Amino acid sequence: MKTDSELAPLGVLEEQILVGVLRTRDEAYGMNVRREIERVTGRELAVGAVYATLDRLEAKGLVASKRVVVDGMSRRLFALTRVGATALAETRAMREALWRGVVLRTE
Amino acid sequence: MPPSAPRLPRVPFLVLRLLAPRAERDEILADLAEEYAAKAARDGGGAARRWLWNQAFASSPALLRWSWWRSRSGYEPRANAFRPGDPVLKTWMTDARYAMRRLRVRPGYTFLAVLTLALGIGGTAAVFGIARPLIFDRLPYPNADRVVTFWMPGWWTEEELLFMRRKYSGFTEVAGYRPNDVTLAQTNAPTRLIRGIESSAELFSVLGSPPLIGRTFRRGDDAQGSEPTVVISYGLWQELGGKPSILGTRLTLGGLDRTVIGVMPRKFWFPDPAVRVWLSRPLDPQGRNGSYALLGTMAPGVTAQSVSAHLPSITSVLGARFKYSAKADKTRDAQFKTLRDELLGKMRPAIVAMFVAMGLILLIACANVAALMLGQVEGRASELAVRSALGATHARLLQQIIIEALLVGVAAGLCGAALAAAGFHMLAGALPIGAWAENASFDWSVFVAALAMAVVAVLLVVLAPAVTLWRGDLRGALNRARTGGIQGRGGRLERGLVVIEVALAMLIASGAALLVRSVSNLYAINPGIDPRNVAVIDVVSNRNMRMGERARVLDNLTHALSALPGVRSAAVAMKLPLRGGGDSFDITIEGKPGLEATFTYFRIVSQSYFSTMGITLRAGRLFDSSDRPLADNDTTTREIPVIINEALAKKFFPGENPLGRRMGGGFNIAQRVIGVVNDVAEGALTDQREPVRYYLGGQAPWFGNLEAFVLKTRRAADLPAVLDAARQTVNRVAPQLAVQTTTTMERELDRAVGPARQVMTLLSLLSGLALVLGAIGIYGVISHFAARRTRDWAIRVALGLPGSRVVTHIVGQGVALVAVGVVLGAIGTLALAHVLASLLFGVTAFDAIAFAAASLAMLVIGVVAAFIPARRAGTVDPALVLREQ
Repeated sequence: MKTDSELAPLGVLEEQILVGVLRTRDEAYGMNVRREIERVTGRELAVGAVYATLDRLEAKGLVASKRVVVDGMSRRLFALTRVGATALAETRAMREALWRGVVLRTE
Repeated sequence: MPPSAPRLPRVPFLVLRLLAPRAERDEILADLAEEYAAKAARDGGGAARRWLWNQAFASSPALLRWSWWRSRSGYEPRANAFRPGDPVLKTWMTDARYAMRRLRVRPGYTFLAVLTLALGIGGTAAVFGIARPLIFDRLPYPNADRVVTFWMPGWWTEEELLFMRRKYSGFTEVAGYRPNDVTLAQTNAPTRLIRGIESSAELFSVLGSPPLIGRTFRRGDDAQGSEPTVVISYGLWQELGGKPSILGTRLTLGGLDRTVIGVMPRKFWFPDPAVRVWLSRPLDPQGRNGSYALLGTMAPGVTAQSVSAHLPSITSVLGARFKYSAKADKTRDAQFKTLRDELLGKMRPAIVAMFVAMGLILLIACANVAALMLGQVEGRASELAVRSALGATHARLLQQIIIEALLVGVAAGLCGAALAAAGFHMLAGALPIGAWAENASFDWSVFVAALAMAVVAVLLVVLAPAVTLWRGDLRGALNRARTGGIQGRGGRLERGLVVIEVALAMLIASGAALLVRSVSNLYAINPGIDPRNVAVIDVVSNRNMRMGERARVLDNLTHALSALPGVRSAAVAMKLPLRGGGDSFDITIEGKPGLEATFTYFRIVSQSYFSTMGITLRAGRLFDSSDRPLADNDTTTREIPVIINEALAKKFFPGENPLGRRMGGGFNIAQRVIGVVNDVAEGALTDQREPVRYYLGGQAPWFGNLEAFVLKTRRAADLPAVLDAARQTVNRVAPQLAVQTTTTMERELDRAVGPARQVMTLLSLLSGLALVLGAIGIYGVISHFAARRTRDWAIRVALGLPGSRVVTHIVGQGVALVAVGVVLGAIGTLALAHVLASLLFGVTAFDAIAFAAASLAMLVIGVVAAFIPARRAGTVDPALVLREQ
């Protein structure tokens, strides 16, 4: 198992998807995660990218998945692991530290 | 999905279906379908379709990366533990690794498979690269499809050209051209001869070819008294500095200052790539000066098919103005030929023959590798059976074979491309395509062709094992392996492949045999000279010399050359044998009236010409030192000696003694026959022997500005040194002359024998290759045949069958395969012989001796290849075999 600091900061897509998993909770299937991110950010995401990223996150141990049957179809339901939660929290902390005191101005 | 949902676009779904890992596939597709339906209901079908396409496009890279990563890392989430299937690429990668391992542990098989395929692929790709510009590419003229050439090339006179101008029905424009090689004199470089064309002003507008810079000929450039102009090739322009300022400068071509008016683009050639200058020619309205060929642009609406309909009106215009003798009636036998046929037609048979042969080699290689692979599949029967019993599907086993073939194919494609690159220029030089050989360039298309051939080859190769696998009863194989294969028949497909291989090899071998016969027929023609150890030096005069001066210069040079070490004798002649007919003039004979429009060839030669060339005296005497050259102002000499050949003696003095007879014609002086020599092939090797008169240079004027020196050396090994020394001697003794080319008479003879010789050399090499490949195939199949029945024979030998019977039986199997192949090959040869027909001389395409030779070669190869495994099987100890099994 890698130490937490090695996993943070997460990539933007990784971060978005982890937050997406958190937001959809009991219904965190690939498609729902994608829809949730699209709904909130207003940006279209490729389904392949979402599934591939979720898979890679699981290989890193940031999420875990299990099979559930919904409406007669087997789906992979994702949930954050402790490591994932820590990595996400650290990523957020890093970003907020970086932003602290910065005033966004345009010339 | 509700029943009212719109139909799903199939392609994007298919893409995603192919790329997504199998465990997740259904889920992803179902979600997409659901969302698609929702979108279609909300935003309309078009928007939904666009969205789906976007998804497919945007997802592909991520999905591919995903599959690749999973295959490489072997990662599979726990949630998928009981889902069917692996990632798409995973099995392929596993199989590729496995195939790689299998290929590595059998280096002999791998080497043989890759090498045989590479030879076929490389050869075919190289021939394709050479043939592409000649056969497949458009000619480099915008009007190429609208230009036809006129009948009887080399026939039209300037008078006819000018009279017919703008009178050709069905044509917008017609141009006349003829070859005219000229010397290019440069201040800082030696004078050299360059290939040229002189033409009427229409040439470039007929072709529709614009210049790179400057202009081409325009109306009036061919008028009498117009300024001499020249259009030069891109290559010559580059040699002369490649600056645009060349326009308007003057080049001394053939002793005449010509203004450079234009440069043609790099890709332009006409009528072949060796031509470097196109010269304007002032046409003479009364000019009987002939040998022009015509080409014209067809009028709009006229096609290559309908143009013949205009022939009668053209010939009637021509016939009304000019009167032709029956023998040379230009208004008869009129026909048009497409430009491509005229320019490239002669090379096509040779190239097609090579293409076919190379393709056959590739097919043989494929059959060979397929047979090898089939043997591998059969050898692995037990392994495959076990795997199948453990749950592997046919498709999966097939996939493995395909991957192995693909690996071999890719390796062979790369090696083949390398071979093609290495052998490209050699092959281009070996093919009878003249100046195109230098223009042939190895480019990406050859590489693409090589890879395409590799793919084709792999598909062909995989066919046979796939069929066996599909049909085969794998579990049965397991049983057979246990019981030792007493019932083991099989191998029919394998043997079929070898039969095909032998048949194809037979095609090539009999083609080569036909050409060998044809070429030996050509060499068997007695050219009338002894070409051995004769060096040839072609020289050209830099400037105009008077007759006496020229004769003196040539005489001095001849003496200097004959004094060179290693030279037995030296001579000079206006035109050498085998170099085309050349000049002829009229002949009159005292006491034989009625010879008015009769012409014969004449040759101006030096004293020792006959002995140097190995031409023998039949009667009378040759020129000797008593025959003195005439001075320029000589008016007292009344007659000069002439030597005639046997053909002339036979034609004009049948049953008489020609010696001492007086002839006239040509020169304004009487000529007395002093000797008769044997006939020599003055024009083409296969021409009828024509009457020829020989005059002594100095007594008769040296015509033209080209002469050829011939030097007979003591040994063949002296030739290069003598040629070098001769070149220096010419520069030292006769600075008025420049050496054009140096060659040997034997090479001239080879050239005269023509394209068949070059095709023969290549085909012989290829048939050697085909025989070797065939032998490998036979050996492989017979080895398998023998190995499969080892137990069978062991029992029989144990029961008293002598080992020699086993050997005979197995060799018999091999011979039977070859025999069937030979018969099929012979049938194929008969069908394909017309490809070679135009290259053949003195043999028909159905030549029994050539067939017999090829069949014999195949049978011998078959026996030898089968004997090795047969001996092994015949000498085996039955006790050992039976114990082993």
